[in-house]
Amino acid sequence: MAQQMDSAVFERRLRPVYDNLEVGNNRKALQESEKLLKKHPTLLCARALKGLSLLRLGRYEESHTWLEAVAEEKPVDDSTLQVLSFCYRETEQLDKIVELYKHAVKQNPGNEEMLAHLFISHVRVEDYKAQQAVALQLYKVQPKNAYYFWSVISVVFQGIRGPESMIPEKRKLYLALAQRMVDKHIKEGKLETEQEAFLYLHILKLQNKYEEAWEFLNGELCAKLYPGAPVSMKFELLKELGKWQELNTLLMQLLEADHDRWDYYKEYLQSCFELLKVPPSPDSTEPEFTLVSCHEFLLRIIESSERKKRGPYLARLELLQRMRVAQLQPQQLVGDFDELIIEYFRLFGDKSCCTHDIALFLPSISIEQRQALASKLLLESGISSTSLPQSKEQMQKHICALQISRICGSHIELPVDHLLAFYTALKLHYEHGLSTFGKNLLATEMGPSDAYALLAANVMYDITLREMKSDHLFEALCLLQYVLRNSTSNFHVKLLSLKIYHMFGCLLGAQEMYDYLDIKQIQLDSMGYVHCNLLPLSGRFAGARSCYDATLKFFTNSYKERLEYIALTYRFYTFSKMEEFMDFKERLTNSLQYVACSVETQLCDLVTCYGNLQQNLSAYVAMSIEPADDRISWHELSDNRDLDAVVRFDPLHLVDGTAERKESFDQEVEVLQVRSLMLRLFASFVDLYHPTASAKFAAPNAKEQAQDRPHKTETATLELLRESWIGLFQRLRLMNYKPLSNRFLVNLLPTRLHLLLEVPYEKFFDDLAQLVLDFYTGDPQLTLHCKAVSDNVLGLKDLCVQTIDASNEASDGLWLRRNQQQKVAACLEILSLYAFLLSVLNDKIQSSGKTKIKKKPNADNKTCDTPQPISEKERSQMLLELMRQLKRKLEDCDAAIRNWKAPALPRDLNSFMADMSLKPEVEATLIGDVSSTFKESHELLVTELRNLLKDKIRMVGK
Amino acid sequence: MTTLRPFTCDDLFKFNNVNFDPLTETYGLSFYTQYLARWPEYFQLAESPNGQIMGYIMGKVEGHLDNWHGHVTALTVSPDYRRLGLAALLMHFLEDISEKKRAYFVDLFVRKSNKVAINMYTNLGYIVYRTILEYYSGDQDEDAYDMRKALSRDVNKKSVIPYSQPITMRELRHINRDQ
Repeated sequence: MAQQMDSAVFERRLRPVYDNLEVGNNRKALQESEKLLKKHPTLLCARALKGLSLLRLGRYEESHTWLEAVAEEKPVDDSTLQVLSFCYRETEQLDKIVELYKHAVKQNPGNEEMLAHLFISHVRVEDYKAQQAVALQLYKVQPKNAYYFWSVISVVFQGIRGPESMIPEKRKLYLALAQRMVDKHIKEGKLETEQEAFLYLHILKLQNKYEEAWEFLNGELCAKLYPGAPVSMKFELLKELGKWQELNTLLMQLLEADHDRWDYYKEYLQSCFELLKVPPSPDSTEPEFTLVSCHEFLLRIIESSERKKRGPYLARLELLQRMRVAQLQPQQLVGDFDELIIEYFRLFGDKSCCTHDIALFLPSISIEQRQALASKLLLESGISSTSLPQSKEQMQKHICALQISRICGSHIELPVDHLLAFYTALKLHYEHGLSTFGKNLLATEMGPSDAYALLAANVMYDITLREMKSDHLFEALCLLQYVLRNSTSNFHVKLLSLKIYHMFGCLLGAQEMYDYLDIKQIQLDSMGYVHCNLLPLSGRFAGARSCYDATLKFFTNSYKERLEYIALTYRFYTFSKMEEFMDFKERLTNSLQYVACSVETQLCDLVTCYGNLQQNLSAYVAMSIEPADDRISWHELSDNRDLDAVVRFDPLHLVDGTAERKESFDQEVEVLQVRSLMLRLFASFVDLYHPTASAKFAAPNAKEQAQDRPHKTETATLELLRESWIGLFQRLRLMNYKPLSNRFLVNLLPTRLHLLLEVPYEKFFDDLAQLVLDFYTGDPQLTLHCKAVSDNVLGLKDLCVQTIDASNEASDGLWLRRNQQQKVAACLEILSLYAFLLSVLNDKIQSSGKTKIKKKPNADNKTCDTPQPISEKERSQMLLELMRQLKRKLEDCDAAIRNWKAPALPRDLNSFMADMSLKPEVEATLIGDVSSTFKESHELLVTELRNLLKDKIRMVGK
Repeated sequence: MTTLRPFTCDDLFKFNNVNFDPLTETYGLSFYTQYLARWPEYFQLAESPNGQIMGYIMGKVEGHLDNWHGHVTALTVSPDYRRLGLAALLMHFLEDISEKKRAYFVDLFVRKSNKVAINMYTNLGYIVYRTILEYYSGDQDEDAYDMRKALSRDVNKKSVIPYSQPITMRELRHINRDQ
């Protein structure tokens, strides 16, 4: 009783700490907890909360000490345990939560709540065996079905996901055990919920016991518990059991009730083709199955549909396509392909999905046939070069026919003047459609004729690529921007504009489109490829940082939450989603976008750091880069890009989406290899001179290792990384990657791989590694290596200046602009990192030069044959010379950037929209706005780069 | 022409052609995972023959006694797949599941200004049960209609006798707590 009162009192006193933590007022929370501890110095929960407040304030070491002390007291009260496990979750010390609750359970063996916490703590570390044991303990304490089935699923996971799941016998054993557990429950009449029924079916299927599963699924118990069992489960089982006739009958029933289900038609057609293979049995009275009955069934559905549904028509085309694949003659049974497509087009051509539908069946005919078909559809749409659509429906049909024509490759071979005329026609159609059918458009609707403009932009890109100059694409960009003013919610227009802005290196325009798309949450992962992933080395550093920030914020939050999602499936008892959630967790945490963005952020911060040396070094320390430790799981990296979000109508025979995805992903992984290794190599340079910097609070293991390591291996990490660096570039050159195809506007932009190979990253950091080593040991070759590095600096400066000169002289300012900005950014990136390193070296060498206490480990000379190491004083002078040289070269770069001209835009801007019925003032402001976006973007870039250079000049200017 | 199937976590990576629509909100992950973990059968997706996501519905079932009901949290159809009756298909699916779960009615909230949606729900048999003042916060707060349709278990159609007066958010929370 007294204790209860106590806990109520304490609860009240702890409240202010909790409240402050909840609103993020961590400083105040710390004060409140300290206040409380003055009165009650032994109150465990208050001590734990103090630890949490410290953690939140980023005072990790202190927090760690406090939390350890609390944990040593082996707390058993719920609130202290909750706070501690929260802290351990934040710091990813999940095994400690297990220990915590293990002990608490020992003290209170019958406590259901504690046991449940212990169970979930095992879930977090995916220890299925331990899960099973705790679940059974729970069931003994409290015989709830939930606990029983927690143990069942834990057994299942041991069989299919645990460490023993690779051994077939073990897998078999576990699954059989799981089944016995459920069987027993069923026998005792204890099965209660649909998820339990689901799990039972799942266990049977995992053991290939399809017959039993089928019986259970159709039994009374399942009908009662699991009335919503998806019918697809029946399909699956019937297919496994080879009961094609039953499947066929079932699907016919289902399709008669619902004429528009693609999943049903697909299964139905499969069952038909399987039935064809069945040999006729001599004593059967049933007639032999033929596709005639299948076709008749589809016709019957077509005839009996009151409202025209796409389903049976598409099914008929699918039948035709499958007959072709099976080398049967579809013509006689189903009819002429072109006629069927034309019929479909007549019925559904006014729906915007008609293009996607027809495109499905084009692969089964030759390119010539496709183009002939496209002409027929255009004719069918009733629009010729001299007529305009009379209705919205007719216009949509015209759009569909044009999209199909592009998909069939009808436009791609046309000469440039034809394409230009085509573009003009599309533009006019857009304008006509807008003024005729686009009145009273809601702000949330897309314009009815927008699709013309999207096609027009693609056509202009085709011309641009042939002519290798940017005029026409710039014009397309203006057209898209015009469309966007009329139809503010058309995301296709935004995505294409974003793409063109990036192609032209106009980061401001790209940023505007990106903001306009309002990409957030998981889209930051799946859509990061359209912007965030294009920003590194695009020309701006600080400007890119905010985009990385938003992206990383999403990822770090989801990373923290990732295990709680899985815990949720246990709490809500959703067996059907557990594996899915676990796989999702893997996909999210191994996202290439996540890892790449983290590395780029760190590089960006090192490049742009502008404080004094101490500030820069502590920022560096906070990044906790462990050069010796490659933390990336290279083989698990996941490609989460939603490449299909950008709509395309490019010729089928020239596009291979799967290959494009793979090739670009492979290259992005290589880029990440280079960037992450560069980061680690660079960190090993810094750590050599500031070993304290690498001894970090969060990595006690590394600290121990560092202490264990004998003196002579201080340079080992650096040397190892340097070897990997050389090896990586050797491999990359051998791999001989080709730049990604730029054949179409929608294709992905080239990766940075070729830029990283072209700009002398490899040589620069290799020579720099030698220099860093020589400075460390005072190697007599130092002079030589100083020369090598200064030559490299000179080379980078020249590359930077030449690139800007070329940009200034270009008559077409946009065509190569992105590449030029990338080169300049790459040069400045290297020089900035070098500047930071020199400032670190300088600090060390000057101070050791003064105090003369440090004796270099490799400098102990045993024989007098060995040349004397270069003295501290000489080293110091050489370093100063390097800094002076870098300063001069940075100034040269700055001078070039100061004179960098804004990109020259196509001259006759005003003529291009002349044939549209645009109001002159609209035309003037539109082109003016787009042009000024380019100009402003350039100015921002110049200002930012010059600020960067100013910081670096200051850094080495002392 | 549609494949109807449960929404899965992986779909979160590829629903952009639907979610770029200005009336479709992209929520934080925990929102989706909560629904997926708790009411998996209430989160369904319509897929086109080429594998694209055409639209999806997200809902739940909750309430006590005769307030036990299905709720539509989000319903969205990609601009490319409109005017095909997809929303109705998804709504029927949710009503069907709610019937199987022996719910009394299905309800949903909709912006008062979203005429297209209100019209569609009315055609599907939903009535405006009550108005909730300033339900949607934003630059300009907006009222919501709470729309309802009775299911077969509500034999006397008690659940769809409309309120005569609009209610505030506070009152709504109060009512929900009591139920």
